[in-house]
Amino acid sequence: MDQLVFALLNGTIYGLLLFMVSAGLTLIFGMMGVLNFAHASFYMLGAYFAYTLEPLIGFWLALVVSPLLVMGLGILVERFILRRVHAHGHAHELLVTFGLAVVIAEVIKMVYGNFPVEYRVPPELSFAAFTLSGLDYPFYRIFMGAVAVAMFIAIYLLLTRTRVGIVVRSAIYRPQTVEALGHNVPLVFMSVFGIGAAMAGLAGAVAGAFYTTNPNMALELGVIVFVVVVVGGLGSMGGAMAASLLIGITNSLAVGSDFRMADLLSVFGLGDWAEGVGGLLTINLSSLAATLPFFIMLLVLVLRPSGLMGEKE
Amino acid sequence: MALRNLLGSTAAASFVICAGAVAAEPLKIALVETLSGPQASTGLLYRDAVNYQIGKLNAAGGFGGQPIELMEYDNQGGPVGAADRVRAAISDGADVILQGSSSAVAGQVTEDVRKYNLRNAGNEILYINLGGEAMELTGEKCHFYHFRTSPNAAIRVNTLLDGMKDAGVLGDRVYAINQNYSWGVDFQNNTVAGSERLGFEVVEQTLHDVNKIQDFAPYVARIQAADVNSVISGNWSNDLLLLMKAVSGAGIDVKFGTAFLDQPGNIGNAGAVAEGHFLSAPFNPEVNPEETTAFVEDYKAVTGHYPSYVEPATVFGVMLLGEALKNVEPTEDGLNAEDLALALEQATVQTPMGQISMRSDDHQVILPMIVQEVSKDAAFKADDTEFGFVPVKVIAAEDAVQPVQDSCNMKRPG
Repeated sequence: MDQLVFALLNGTIYGLLLFMVSAGLTLIFGMMGVLNFAHASFYMLGAYFAYTLEPLIGFWLALVVSPLLVMGLGILVERFILRRVHAHGHAHELLVTFGLAVVIAEVIKMVYGNFPVEYRVPPELSFAAFTLSGLDYPFYRIFMGAVAVAMFIAIYLLLTRTRVGIVVRSAIYRPQTVEALGHNVPLVFMSVFGIGAAMAGLAGAVAGAFYTTNPNMALELGVIVFVVVVVGGLGSMGGAMAASLLIGITNSLAVGSDFRMADLLSVFGLGDWAEGVGGLLTINLSSLAATLPFFIMLLVLVLRPSGLMGEKE
Repeated sequence: MALRNLLGSTAAASFVICAGAVAAEPLKIALVETLSGPQASTGLLYRDAVNYQIGKLNAAGGFGGQPIELMEYDNQGGPVGAADRVRAAISDGADVILQGSSSAVAGQVTEDVRKYNLRNAGNEILYINLGGEAMELTGEKCHFYHFRTSPNAAIRVNTLLDGMKDAGVLGDRVYAINQNYSWGVDFQNNTVAGSERLGFEVVEQTLHDVNKIQDFAPYVARIQAADVNSVISGNWSNDLLLLMKAVSGAGIDVKFGTAFLDQPGNIGNAGAVAEGHFLSAPFNPEVNPEETTAFVEDYKAVTGHYPSYVEPATVFGVMLLGEALKNVEPTEDGLNAEDLALALEQATVQTPMGQISMRSDDHQVILPMIVQEVSKDAAFKADDTEFGFVPVKVIAAEDAVQPVQDSCNMKRPG
C-alpha cells in the first residue's frame, strides 16, 4: 500500500514538472501555431541562469530573476527572429526554432563546459517532508509540485478571469477581428511567447537544482514534452495538465511493477507458449517504462488524433 | 641562362621531393570518437588523452623516422555515424583505428574492421578499443585485429565486489541496477556471477532505459523495498547521478558500487551525496605517488587539466601501442597490420599504476585496478569540491585478471 502511495506521489510530482514545461509549449502553439523546438532550451537556460545567479543574489531571488531573464530572451526571439520568418510559413518557423535549440545548446557548452554544473538544492530545503515505511520523501519534490500547481492556477485565472485573458483567447481564434477591434495582436503574441518561455525558465530554475543541470537537459526533456503536448491536444492547457499527470503516473507505476505479457497470457492458459516465444512477451514492464509515453502517444494519435482535449485538428 | 637556372633548380627541388617520397608513408592513426552531440564530453576526453600520448610518441621520434599522423573523425555518438566515419578513415589511409566511448559503437566498429579485413587480405587495419567494456567484444565478437586496452565488465565488477567486501560495505543483500544494453546486461550478469564466490544475495535486478529517465524516484522505492546493503551499478552519466541523488534524497543508507563515478562533473554535482560510495577504475592519482605525480602534472601542463575518468587508461593504452610499434618494421604504406598485431600481443609496458600487458588469447589487456572511495581525505579533489577518490584497495594485474571467455574463437592469420 505504501508502495502504491509513493508511486502515485512520485508520478504526480514528475507529471507536474512535465506540465510546467509543456504548458508554455502548448500555449504558444495554441496561440501562434508555432511548434517551438527551442522550448526545452528555455527550460535549460532557466536552470543555468539560476545556477549563475544563486551565489550572487541567493536561491529565492534567483528563482524569480532567472525566469524573467528567460522571458526577456523569449521576447527577443519572437520579436527579431520568429516574426521575420512568420510570413514564410510554419515549416520555416519550425526550422528556425530547431536551429535555435542547437545554437543555445552549443553556447551553453562553450560557456559552462560539457559536464554537469554544481547547481544543487539549497541545504535549508533539503530535508524530508515526511517518512513513510522507512522512506524519506524529500521536501523539495513537494515544493516543485506546489510551484507547478501555483503556476497552473495563475495561468488558468489569467486566461479565464481577466480582460487580458479574453483578448488572448480571442486572438487565438480570430486574430484579424481582434486586430480590427483595436488590439495590438503582435504585442499579444510577443507577450504570450515571453510568458511561455518564462514558465519553462521557472521549471528549469526549480528542477535544475533537484535533477542535474547539464548541457543535455533540454534534449532529455524535450522529446517527452512534445509527447505530452501531442497527447494532451495541441493548444489545450487542461489537456497538457491531464497528459502530464497521465504520463508521469503510468511511468511511475510501470517502474514498480513486475508485470509481463506472459503473466497475462497464462490466465488464458497460454503461459508456457509465451515463455517459449520470449521476446516482448517476457520483458518486464519496468524495463519498458521509458517507452510507455510513446506508446500512449501512438494510441492517442490512432484513436483521437486531436489529443485528449484538443480542439484543433 | 635565367631559364636554365630555373630549370636546374626545379629539377633539384623535385629531386629533393622524390627523395622524401622514397621513405615510407607516415603511420596514420584515426581516432573515430564522439566529438559532437550529447555524449561529446567523453569523446573529447579520449581525444585529449590520445593527443597527449601520440605527442609523446612523436617527441620520441614517431614511427619509421617520421611523426605519426593522427586523424580525427566525429562519429556523432552512434553506430551509424561510426560505420560511416570508419569507412572515411580507411579511405584516407588509416592503419590503426582508435575508439572508446560506448560499447554499442565499439560493437559496430569491430565488426566493420573485421569485415574489411576479410575482404582486403594483405591490407588489413587494426582496431584498438580504448573503452568499450562489453564482454562480447572479447567474446563472440573477438577477432585478431581487435585489441581492448581498457578493463571489461568482468574485471570491473569482480574487483569492485572484492574491494567492497574487504572494506566491509558490500553486505549480504545487493541490488543490481543497470542500463538496458550490452554493457549494463554484462555488469548485471557479472554481479550475479560473483554472488556465490563472495557470499551475498542479489536481491533484485533492474534494467532500465539508457539516459532517458529524468525521475528515478520510482526505482528508489524498489531499492528501499528490497532492503539491501549495497547497490551495484554500471550506470554512467545522468543515469548514475540522478539515481544516486534520488536514493540519497530518500534517506536510504546504502553504499553504491560503481564503474564510472569519476566522470567529470559527477562529484561536483552530487556533492556530499557521493561521499562514501565506491568505484573500481584503472587509475588513482594517489597510487605510486612518485611516478604518478610526475604523470599527472605533465598531463596537466600539456592539456590544461589533470587526467581523470577515461583519460589515464587511454594514455596507458596508447603507451602499449607505442611499445608494440618499437618492434614493427615500417613498410611503404605505413606498416603491416599483422606485424603490429603480433607485436601488440607480446607488448608489455610499465605505467604509473604498474605493469600492463596484452593477453594474446582474446586481446584483452591485463591491468591493475584500484578500488576507491569518495572521501574528503583525497589528495586530489574532483571538480573543485572538497571530495576526491581515496584508494581502498590496489588489485595487481595478475589478481584482477578474468578468464578468457569460451565464446572467443579467434582465427589467427596463417
